[in-house]
Amino acid sequence: MKTTFKEENNDFVMYFEGRLDTAAAPAVEKEMEPLNDCTGHDIILDCTQLEYISSSGLRIFLAILKNAKPKGSHVFIRGLNDDLRQVFAMTGFTNLFEFK
Amino acid sequence: MGADWFFLGFSLPAWITILTVTSIFVVMARSRIPAEVAFLGALTILLVTGVVSEEEGMAGFGSEPVVIHAAFFVIIAGLMQTGVLYWLTKHVLGDPKNYNNALLRLMVPTSILAALLNSVNVVALFIDAVKIWARKLNISPSKLLLPLSYAATLGGMCTLLGNSSNLVVAGLYLNKTGQSMHLFEPFIPGLILTVVGILLVMALQHYIPSRRTAEQSFETTSDYTVELLVPTDNPAVGETVEDAGLINVKGGSLVEIVRFDREIIMPVPKDEWVLGGDRLIYAGQINEILELKRTHGLAAADHHVWSINDIDTKRKMRTAYVDFGSSLIGRSMSECHFEQKNNVALVAVARQGYRVKGQPREIRLEAGDTLLLECPPKGDRLLEQETRHTVTFFDSHFVPQLGPKTVTSAIILILMFLISSMHVLPLMATTMLAAGMMMLFGCCRITGITRYIEWELLLILGATVVFSVAITKTGVADSIANEVLQLCGRNPYVVMAVMCLLASIVSEFVSDVGSSAVFFPIMYQQAEMLGCNPMPFVMSLMLSVTISFASPIGSNTHMLIYGPGSFKFTDFARLGIVMHIVLLTLTLVLVNIIYPLY
Repeated sequence: MKTTFKEENNDFVMYFEGRLDTAAAPAVEKEMEPLNDCTGHDIILDCTQLEYISSSGLRIFLAILKNAKPKGSHVFIRGLNDDLRQVFAMTGFTNLFEFK
Repeated sequence: MGADWFFLGFSLPAWITILTVTSIFVVMARSRIPAEVAFLGALTILLVTGVVSEEEGMAGFGSEPVVIHAAFFVIIAGLMQTGVLYWLTKHVLGDPKNYNNALLRLMVPTSILAALLNSVNVVALFIDAVKIWARKLNISPSKLLLPLSYAATLGGMCTLLGNSSNLVVAGLYLNKTGQSMHLFEPFIPGLILTVVGILLVMALQHYIPSRRTAEQSFETTSDYTVELLVPTDNPAVGETVEDAGLINVKGGSLVEIVRFDREIIMPVPKDEWVLGGDRLIYAGQINEILELKRTHGLAAADHHVWSINDIDTKRKMRTAYVDFGSSLIGRSMSECHFEQKNNVALVAVARQGYRVKGQPREIRLEAGDTLLLECPPKGDRLLEQETRHTVTFFDSHFVPQLGPKTVTSAIILILMFLISSMHVLPLMATTMLAAGMMMLFGCCRITGITRYIEWELLLILGATVVFSVAITKTGVADSIANEVLQLCGRNPYVVMAVMCLLASIVSEFVSDVGSSAVFFPIMYQQAEMLGCNPMPFVMSLMLSVTISFASPIGSNTHMLIYGPGSFKFTDFARLGIVMHIVLLTLTLVLVNIIYPLY
């Protein structure tokens, strides 16, 4: 599992590559710490290269959303494949996030 | 085949027979394979290896015990549908004042009915009525269910119809001698054994365990495990369990979350997020926790639910227990398709009246476990039929209408007994005639009549007759009979006692029917070798295989009460062993007084 953080057009963008499973979740959570201080920036979670997401991965996404909202930042999900889209739909996350 | 090859005095066909029959006993005692499958498997081996011919192999299925049982199932269906059995349960028992009075008022009529209607039918019939009594007397149902089972089996000893093994022994006797026994052949020893047995149960009533009731455990236990699902569109999704008001709820608390990918969160922190598809496991009072379905939009479901609106809100909770020999035993609900197939959802599991720790749908089920199931609002009877032999629902919805046909079917039954006991017709012809009359007079619906026939039992009975043939034909009966004679000397009383003891012990662990089929040819052979009248040997075998009361496996009626009484496997042993020893001794004495050896 690989993550890359970039700042693009004033947005914080996190690129995910591989499988975000339970084993990978703690490391990914640490790598996403730069997103915590997001005042004045929207966040884009780019899932184009993400193959799988477990419930632990979803919890990390949700934590980012819960942190960003009070700061007025929007969290967008980008590039979900069909399998991931189904997981998001089933868990009710489609109603929580905005999609690009 | 292999008749010239001998090992330890037995030919190859004899060894095949011994190994096949022994392996059935082991399979039945140690595995979950249904008895009828084990018996048919064994029959196949005997046929394929040429131990029995095709004609011999199939003869069992047209034998007297099979035909009488099949006809009797139709008669029972008629009595059930016209309300005769319902009327009996309503009016036979009366209103007991105390426990001793209840024991007597229960055991005497049920033993009489068992003699006429078969012990298994009577126990099945009276389970619900006995549970109502238990509630009235404020005692545990187990205190009455065990005596019910004893009384029925004891009463069943009095006639050939009373216990299945009686018919098997009578059928084998007919094959051997060409003489048919009459319906009341075992009446005198059976009656004395019944009276002594009932007195023993009353004298040793403190040996009858008091177990918590299975259904009440769901209502009253404050420490129970309930599983509820979060539908996708639930407003709690994305909230913490604390903010959503799901952690400490009225009557219980959240102990575990199982995510859609089976990740388990335990213990559950207050700030844990709720995701759609989560399974929330609560410990607490079931009725209160189930309120969460209404107040928080949670669902009892075996599959993912997108919206609470997808669930029929009129679905209802019903309790059922896992039958002996059920396909659910040893498996968890999540491993099988029981829920999907029957459109039910498991909510909670009780074992002997107590909480089983863990996620209900992951619990490995055991015989007698009580299940709380969310069921469709309609189709109770269909559900009960579809799940027959897997689970039995406590609140059966079958209430027949009483009317003129009730009288007709009762008359047919009485005529059947009169004709049979006066030897006007043989028992097989009488039961077939009665079954035909039941259908002719519209006492039971002809369409779907096969539903009431317990095909499994007929298959077992058919196969057991063949084992008996194989044991005789291959010389096994002859050799074992000789061996026992050499060991015990030529005293017929000692031989009979040893054989009955062995047969009754095998019956404790396997089944009375199987045991009687295996021991019949051996004992008959011994009687002939000793130059004795075979009747005392035959009768002592018939009675001794049914007094196996110490384990639930040996007794068909014990199996029926196991779940409703929340019994433990060992609960039957204390009283059962005493009854076994006393009644076996009495059987041997009585049979030898009534039927002289020479």
